[in-house]
Amino acid sequence: MQDILIDIANMRKDYPTGESWFTALRDITLQFKTGEFAGIVGPSGSGKTTLLNIIGSLDVQTEGEVTVLGKRVRDLTHRQSASLRSRELGFIFQTYNLLPVYRVYENVEFPLLLLTMTEAQRRQAVLDALNWVGLSEKVKSRPAQLSGGECQRVAIARAMVKHPKIVLADEPTANLDTENSHHVLDTMRTINQELGTTFIFSTHDQKVINYLRRIITLVDGKVVSDKANGG
Amino acid sequence: MMWKLAWRNIYGAGLRSIINIFILAFVIIGIIWMEGMYEGWMRIAERQSKEWECAGGRYEMAAYDRFDPFSWDKSHAVIPLSLQPLVQKGDAVPILISTGSIFPQGRMKAVVIKGIPAGQTALKLPTKALADSGEYIPALIGTNMAKSSALNKGDIVTLRWKDVHGAFNAADIVIAEVMQTPVMSVDNDQLWLDLNRLQQMKDLPQQTTFIVLKSGVQAPPNVPGWRFLTVDDMLADLHEIMQTETKQAYITYAILLFLAMIAIFDTQVLAVFRRRKEIGTLTALGMTAQRIILLFTVEGMLYAVLASGAAAILGMPLFIYFGTRGWLLPESFQDFGIAGFKDPVVFEYTLGMVISTLVLVISLTAFVSWIPALRIARLKPTDALRGKLR
Repeated sequence: MQDILIDIANMRKDYPTGESWFTALRDITLQFKTGEFAGIVGPSGSGKTTLLNIIGSLDVQTEGEVTVLGKRVRDLTHRQSASLRSRELGFIFQTYNLLPVYRVYENVEFPLLLLTMTEAQRRQAVLDALNWVGLSEKVKSRPAQLSGGECQRVAIARAMVKHPKIVLADEPTANLDTENSHHVLDTMRTINQELGTTFIFSTHDQKVINYLRRIITLVDGKVVSDKANGG
Repeated sequence: MMWKLAWRNIYGAGLRSIINIFILAFVIIGIIWMEGMYEGWMRIAERQSKEWECAGGRYEMAAYDRFDPFSWDKSHAVIPLSLQPLVQKGDAVPILISTGSIFPQGRMKAVVIKGIPAGQTALKLPTKALADSGEYIPALIGTNMAKSSALNKGDIVTLRWKDVHGAFNAADIVIAEVMQTPVMSVDNDQLWLDLNRLQQMKDLPQQTTFIVLKSGVQAPPNVPGWRFLTVDDMLADLHEIMQTETKQAYITYAILLFLAMIAIFDTQVLAVFRRRKEIGTLTALGMTAQRIILLFTVEGMLYAVLASGAAAILGMPLFIYFGTRGWLLPESFQDFGIAGFKDPVVFEYTLGMVISTLVLVISLTAFVSWIPALRIARLKPTDALRGKLR
């Protein structure tokens, strides 16, 4: 039986808007298991990114329980949530969020600097990660010298370099053309299959949806469907 | 790790970093340059004061009050027995002091008349010129005195003085020498005569007001009726004036530092605003807010560290030039009444001066880098990732 990595029960998230509150997510009950390749799908403003941020312990729910890798998100201190993100979670963003002054190698190496690893271990891990995404030749390039697809593959390498249990990808193909989108998604699917890493996407891109093995549809902050997909 | 990351960010920031580093380097050079000047000025002023006035310290009559000229007529005595051998050997110089007036070009000018043995060598005063040379009493004055009384070498002027009996007398004196002295207190309003001549004029044979010891001569203890002023006692005024000057310099340092810190502060405020998405990314990658604040603070500190290196490279030729060739202070510095402005002031740099300046600049830079970085702690990661700043 697969382990449950993420357990969300009756979760609600409200945001203050002036003097009133806006409910971004309500009645969310979901579980994610090891090795899933799942997507949270829905139109803009449906709460996809908010859900991903809460799973990533970047934000905290207003009500309900969210447990990630056995840790209750609400109870985590800043230091504990930072530790969870640095060790167990990988993030991939729509706009890549690479550090512009760093070279490709240094961008990928960055998460490892937060862990206790030797220089040699870091080097091997960075080269392996760049090899997975097919960018071994670009180690010395800066993000400005790369195409959008290459930047996103560097972001995938950065997310994967520490072998996280979960990768959270927020609209990873939104800024990419079709060819690059497929390339990036193929890369992620290969990693998922070979390393067993759980991928959770937020997307409304049909190209991504076609790759997913599980589709959770959010509308106005509520889960309206949660079904398996051919992938 | 922080230094490595900070270095990468500073290197990546390009021109903005270069400008900040240059501003800070300029401030460091400016402060060390000024401190070096004051230190050098102090040293030369001390040296010249010792050469021209203090030598190894002096005995003065207990009744003598330098601020009360009326006390001077009572402040004289025969050289005490314990000091006579030193005077005879030339290791101590007796000086008799009196008030008087001269009348150059029909004007009256009050002067301090000082009698000193013409053959003395303890002080740098060119007293050989006071040896009796004929019809007129030879007198020695400094360039400032010459300027203020419009007298030149060879001029004859009438001197009036009061003798010990209260009678006013007058005689013509000749300016035997106009000396170039950097020490104002032996120049301004001072008229130097031969000691024997002044003793005769005052009818005070063997009497003296001061006895100045030659440098390196041990002062005999407890001479009744006399008090001994060490060199430090005699230089107390100089130190006080220099301290006042140094305090004024602190205002300049503060202005320089303030301007530099504004530049750093602005850079850091802008950095927090411009790099908020990066801050969000660093948070997502697992850095705590404290570590990100530390990163920004270290970046600011690194500006100061790099500026220290730049100051060493850019400032070295300047420091070496002024530390070897010196700088002839402008005439206006005479107004301070401190020795040291007539010869080039050779700047003196001490390790303590350099270290304290660097520590001050680096600490202040760290502080003004840390203040704007504190906003990071209030920044929500989700807002930061979206590029929002609340």
